[in-house]
Amino acid sequence: MSQPQIIVEHLTKVYRVPQRGEGLAAAVTSMFRRAYQHVTAVNDVSFAIAPAEIVGLIGPNGAGKTTTLKMLSGLLHPTAGAATVAGHAPWERHPAFLRRISMVLGNKSQMLWDIPPLDTFRVLAEIYAVPPAEYRATLDELVALLEMEELLAKPVRSFSLGERMKCELVAGLLHRPAVLFLDEPTLGLDVSMQSRLRRFVAEYNRRSGATVILTSHYMADVVALCPRVIVIHQGRILYDGRLGQLAERLAPFKLLRVAMGEVEIEAEVKAKAEEEIERLPGGVEVLERENGRLVLRVRRGDAPAVTAHLLQKLPVSDLTVEDPPLEAVIDQIYQQPDALSDEAGRPESARAAQ
Amino acid sequence: MNLIAPLNSRGGWALVKSTWTSWLQYRSFFFLLAFGWMIPPLIYLFVWSAAAGQDHVGGITRGQFVGYYLILILVNQITYSQTNWTVGDVIRSGGLNAWLLRPMPPLFHALSSELAGKVVYLTFVTPVAALLALLLRPEIDPGLAAAPLFVLSVALAWALRFVWGLWIALLAFWATRADALLAVQDALVFVLAGVVAPVALLPAYLQGAARFLPFRYMVGFPVEILTGHLTGDELAVGFAMQSAWLVIAVALAYQVWRVGLRRYTAIGG
Repeated sequence: MSQPQIIVEHLTKVYRVPQRGEGLAAAVTSMFRRAYQHVTAVNDVSFAIAPAEIVGLIGPNGAGKTTTLKMLSGLLHPTAGAATVAGHAPWERHPAFLRRISMVLGNKSQMLWDIPPLDTFRVLAEIYAVPPAEYRATLDELVALLEMEELLAKPVRSFSLGERMKCELVAGLLHRPAVLFLDEPTLGLDVSMQSRLRRFVAEYNRRSGATVILTSHYMADVVALCPRVIVIHQGRILYDGRLGQLAERLAPFKLLRVAMGEVEIEAEVKAKAEEEIERLPGGVEVLERENGRLVLRVRRGDAPAVTAHLLQKLPVSDLTVEDPPLEAVIDQIYQQPDALSDEAGRPESARAAQ
Repeated sequence: MNLIAPLNSRGGWALVKSTWTSWLQYRSFFFLLAFGWMIPPLIYLFVWSAAAGQDHVGGITRGQFVGYYLILILVNQITYSQTNWTVGDVIRSGGLNAWLLRPMPPLFHALSSELAGKVVYLTFVTPVAALLALLLRPEIDPGLAAAPLFVLSVALAWALRFVWGLWIALLAFWATRADALLAVQDALVFVLAGVVAPVALLPAYLQGAARFLPFRYMVGFPVEILTGHLTGDELAVGFAMQSAWLVIAVALAYQVWRVGLRRYTAIGG
């Protein structure tokens, strides 16, 4: 494996937040004596990301995702720990570093509002000193990928959210950054625009070899783009590994969907089935039950035995075994982070180092 | 960490051009702003020229008051820094993040709106002042040497007023409503920089303050070079004071930026 593009070691960020009680008296007191509360936003985080890798950084609101991205892009100074991005300590904000990264924020715009995007793109090309020929080529390529030819000459203020997001991506990629931070790039977009942008990011990554860190609350983004995910919660890394193993490690359950024969089954059989359902083996939980349809939650290891049991005892017309939806898994992690085993929580980089 | 270095003049110039294009979309809004800024000096133009009548006040005739205030309107417009009012908003709203992410000194963003603004405002104020000059018949009688000195002092006055306002605006790193202090600066300019009356007509104690504090060197001093028949000594002292205050302003702005940015990157925007 080549040298990692991003190396993060024991990165920690503690914010000092002024504390103030309610009411006028507290307001006056706070002018003279300020009480502070220390909030640890990112707590001893370590990972390494290889060139051209796409990693999803996921976690609930306030987990420390944006703080981490801000430290990696040089906007925040860490309280402790070290990071190297594209060969630089980000918070020195060296121009050579800034030329190699880009941060695209779903909820912030860097477009000039009142002029067509083409004018903003030209300014950015000048600021990043992109040679004219390269600028032309990059712009043509990005515009073709995003199918936004017709937007180039209209003022940005008239754009829809999705159209604006396309512009943000072009603006962020004109200087061909080696490292791309995408913070909620699909926030508020409709389904087809989301999938368009996903295809774009994947294609851009394939063509340019840029390293991408993406945060998103939409699991579809993560599933479509990120072979590897880092789950962060309360400032700590809960999981760092393949997306495919996330459910396996973190949700030790399978879902069994069972459909039983249609209405024509005899009353006798039906009654018997009802009885069987009451007498399911231990550890099986009925999540839904209506009209001859069942959804059961079963321990992963028990799934084959329970399936066999059901097929034998019930008039099954259809049966599927599934992993729980990723959203449910993630929600479970957010609700009970302690449920994670140490093994699952250990960062990939730490394991690789052993 | 650096406010200006290393320079990226190519990017800076592109930014000026685009800001200018962008602002031209709002010509009428900026024209109204510029009109508002003209009103106080215009009022005092009429007050003092009425007071002088056929005679003079403190040795200044009606026509000389008209000349003084018309030049003051132009100088005030050239040196007025509207950018400083928006720097605080940029810091509070997190817009500073975009400035910091670019491989260019963040100061260029402030300078670009400053320069773009000048061009837009002056396309309005210059013809208005010219029209007033035709109607009100000013008397201006500068010496030949005055023109280059005037240009130099206007440039210094602009730099001083911009940088002085900048360090105040940068207090937004700490206080949410630091721009209230900009209103104080405007008020002091109004009283001490020759807007309410030429500095020579102020009571003695105010004159002393005016000659010592930075505000006269933001507006009044260049106007006096063209209209006030300053002696060689007065010119030398004026330029020395103007330069000294500029150096102090630059040092203050640099320090406030440095410490403020350290705080910003510690607590986040």
